[in-house]
Amino acid sequence: MSHVLHDIEKQIVKVLQSGPNLIEEQISDITNLSMDQVRRGVEWLRQKKLAEVHESINISYSLGKNGLDSLKNGLPERRLVTLVQDGPKTFDEIRSSLHGLDFNAAIAHAKKNDWINIEKTDTGSKISIKEDPTRTREEDLIESIGEKTVPAGPTGILAQSALQSLLDRPDFIIEREVKTKKVYLTATGKKINLKKSDSNAIDVEADVPHVHAARIHPLNDTINEIRDTFVHLGFTEITGNLSQSSFWNFDALFTPQDHPARELQDTFYLKNLNAKQLATPTQIKNVSNAHKKGWRYYWDVQEAKKMVLRTHTTCVTIKHLADKKPDEARIFSLGRVFRNEKLSFKHLAEFNQVEGVVVGKHITLRDLMGIQKEFYRKIGLTKVKFWPTFFPYTEPSLQSMVYNEKLGKWIELFGMGIFRPEVTKPLGITKPVLAWGGGIERIAMLKFGLDDVREFYNNNLSWLRTATKCQ
Amino acid sequence: MPVVELNLGRLQKLVGKNTNKKQILDILPFLGLDIESLGRNVVRVEYSPNRPDYSTDFGIALGLQGILGISKGMPRLKIRTKGNYEIKVDSSTSKIRPFVTGIVARNGSLDDEAVKQIINMQEDLHFGLGRKRKKSSIGIHDLDNISFPLKYTTTSRDHRFVPLNSTKESSISEILRDSEVGRDYGSILGQSSKVPIITDAKGQTISFPPIINAALTTVTTKTKNILVEVTGIDKQSAEDMLSVVVAILQGGGFQFSQLKVSGSRNSTPNFATRTVTFDAGPVNKILGLNISNSVLASCLKKSRLDAVVKNKKIQCTIPRYRFDIFGGMDIVEEVALGYGIDNLKPAWPASVHIGEKNPTSEKLDSTSRLMTGFGFMETLNSTLTSEQTLYEMTNRDSSQIISVTSSKSQEHTILRDSILPGLLENLSKNIHETYPQKFFESGIVFSKGSPIKETANLACVTASEETNFSEMKAILQSLLRIGFSIKCETKALPSHALFSQGRVAEIIINRKTVGYIGELDSKVLENFRIRTKVVGFEIKLSGLIFD
Repeated sequence: MSHVLHDIEKQIVKVLQSGPNLIEEQISDITNLSMDQVRRGVEWLRQKKLAEVHESINISYSLGKNGLDSLKNGLPERRLVTLVQDGPKTFDEIRSSLHGLDFNAAIAHAKKNDWINIEKTDTGSKISIKEDPTRTREEDLIESIGEKTVPAGPTGILAQSALQSLLDRPDFIIEREVKTKKVYLTATGKKINLKKSDSNAIDVEADVPHVHAARIHPLNDTINEIRDTFVHLGFTEITGNLSQSSFWNFDALFTPQDHPARELQDTFYLKNLNAKQLATPTQIKNVSNAHKKGWRYYWDVQEAKKMVLRTHTTCVTIKHLADKKPDEARIFSLGRVFRNEKLSFKHLAEFNQVEGVVVGKHITLRDLMGIQKEFYRKIGLTKVKFWPTFFPYTEPSLQSMVYNEKLGKWIELFGMGIFRPEVTKPLGITKPVLAWGGGIERIAMLKFGLDDVREFYNNNLSWLRTATKCQ
Repeated sequence: MPVVELNLGRLQKLVGKNTNKKQILDILPFLGLDIESLGRNVVRVEYSPNRPDYSTDFGIALGLQGILGISKGMPRLKIRTKGNYEIKVDSSTSKIRPFVTGIVARNGSLDDEAVKQIINMQEDLHFGLGRKRKKSSIGIHDLDNISFPLKYTTTSRDHRFVPLNSTKESSISEILRDSEVGRDYGSILGQSSKVPIITDAKGQTISFPPIINAALTTVTTKTKNILVEVTGIDKQSAEDMLSVVVAILQGGGFQFSQLKVSGSRNSTPNFATRTVTFDAGPVNKILGLNISNSVLASCLKKSRLDAVVKNKKIQCTIPRYRFDIFGGMDIVEEVALGYGIDNLKPAWPASVHIGEKNPTSEKLDSTSRLMTGFGFMETLNSTLTSEQTLYEMTNRDSSQIISVTSSKSQEHTILRDSILPGLLENLSKNIHETYPQKFFESGIVFSKGSPIKETANLACVTASEETNFSEMKAILQSLLRIGFSIKCETKALPSHALFSQGRVAEIIINRKTVGYIGELDSKVLENFRIRTKVVGFEIKLSGLIFD
């Protein structure tokens, strides 16, 4: 079996093939690889099923400050008993000779070992040797640990009672928990012939880290795609301000001044701002007359001057048509629009809309349906049907329904219709105007599989970094 | 769009002629009725606000009969003129709510479901046509508790009667103060000391329009005969509303008797139809069809209008309740509906149009592409933002603030005059993500000026421990040089709210300041809970790379 191994992997396999199973630290010691390299190499080997890793928690011991002192100078009780070898001594004499060692502990342990007698005399208590002090298990233990770190268990410390006694005394022995990863080669791993593997080859199958691309925002990808699609269909883009007078946003579109859509709860009015220049005097007069005739009320020019954030892109379209009066045209307008909505998973206060308009002497409703069908086809939506609907400034009005394969249902997308004569006539537009359009976020949601429209404006890096660009 | 809940079994019965539920559900959308939700035997549909007759199943059944070909043409309306139903209008109403109209409807049946439908109709009419009862409003009464003739007059605010859904007398003032409808609609009457009222021959109050009926004439499921009155500030609107009620009640099997109305510019409603005569040519042309006069007439009849072919022209008669039909294009729509939208096949028009992007869009596009090339991620923020983000967190000058009125969302109350604060907010939301983070955004910012000025700006930020002023200046200069062959300088600025002192400069092009660049001030960063170093710039693109 041939395996392409990275140099790091090769070194690890070599060490493990020629010796016992090792923990990662040991591998690092032997190979001179850094711990980070060892970890990476072991992980690659593990993924290729060439190695296995067994994690275990081990306890180990080393000498503390007092333990190391005892290693050099003997345990306090040993030093005490050495002091009284030549004859009994008083407490005070011993205390000064022990140089700050724990005197009480030294006496207690020497007594426990049955090494000394304490006699009370007139000149104070005296300590004398009782019998020849033999070597203790504690002393053996300290010596055997020495300056090393020694694991617990069968291969380590056997003298449990001595260990416990020293653990009970301060700073003699330090107990540590160590997590170790012991690396084993699998049967396959053991069989790898390192000499055979090509020294030039690298592991081209190994996993690599993610790299993040800087990119256009996914919603703008959709917007750009829609803009391009309109251009492909022969439409020319027009632009206009986001802030508009009520005249162009509502009045020019035959929306009566007492219409619910014009109320504060649906439309954002700009505080204390009125349009200075509304439209031409003829345009104002004709629109005013159309309202008086059609809706029978007093049309107030002051109301028309109130500035709003546009509620649709149609205000841009209608002003363009009123000013240019083209006989033939294909234009579109795309951009932000505003509605005074409570934000929810399906509603935003500010979103994007696109609207296309076809002007022409011979243009028909069926043509508009055809253009729209082609538009959807270009953005990947092939099942389309049309239903009648209502829009205040078009007649007849249709809505397009598009079948979404992912959701398995028909979804309402763009609206369309022919501008009412009550809209076009007062503005001197004589040819039929066929319009269609709608919200862009809705299409983008389908594309990116989102069910909360707010996600587009959360600017959540983890989403921006991972959303699939070509949907 | 308004919504009505329909009982499918009942609708099926109303439509008649062995229709099945599937057939009905399939055809509803082609009447312009969107199915909002569907239960076992209940369907909720959205209808157009210009078709208040679709606010009940009675009205929808008429439409379905037409489109399914079960019953075509205009429903015949018969109104008996005999009978002593009369209302006299006192001239005192002219200052407050001058017009009243109405009808007597007899021998109908008002079961629970019918009452539910009629309540839905009333609410719809009050909200839409009635402009929240201001323009016109309806009262529906049990006819058998009323003695004629009625009087539409005014009374003072201490006048007392027992209002609907109550057992004790209240004064007008009390009703306006204590009841929900009083509080909701009382303002329509303004401060006027006199308020409108309808009384019967015995002097009993039957209605206090546009607020509430009297308990005396409460309609129950036992009611067979009703009086409908509509009051309003515009005669035509009031009669429009009445015509819808009559069309719906006709669908409910009621028989009508005239209510004579007289006095003070008021008159008896006549429910007159309108007739328009037109050529088939223009209709065919705009729809892209080529159908004969007789087929066209048949389409109109399927839309429940009357139509005959006379001298090669179509003569179409429109019932009173179809006042949504303004002119020719509305007729075109009726033809299209009768023809069946499903039968209209999409066509592809010959065109010599060459599409073009707007130059501004093109340049913004190029800018974005360069910025991503420099490693910056594009973000999108609302232009409608909050004072907190734009000014409070950034210590910027808020004297030129532009606000909107009555926003429903606290996050959307003012228009941005700068993009940078939004980018700081984006950094703030991503502090748990890996660094470096580099963002840019281009878009509209607003400033005051006859009355408001909109310019396109570009802003970008880099957040990382290693970033510095030079790195950002390099991006700025490279962007302008590579993108647009523009040279720019940076000139030290003594201070700026967003940036650290000594680490901020103006961006100067042709001796004009077009933006700012610098290291973000640590207090500002702290406000956004950003813990790394941030450098950024904002530059005005309008006037620089496009007009």
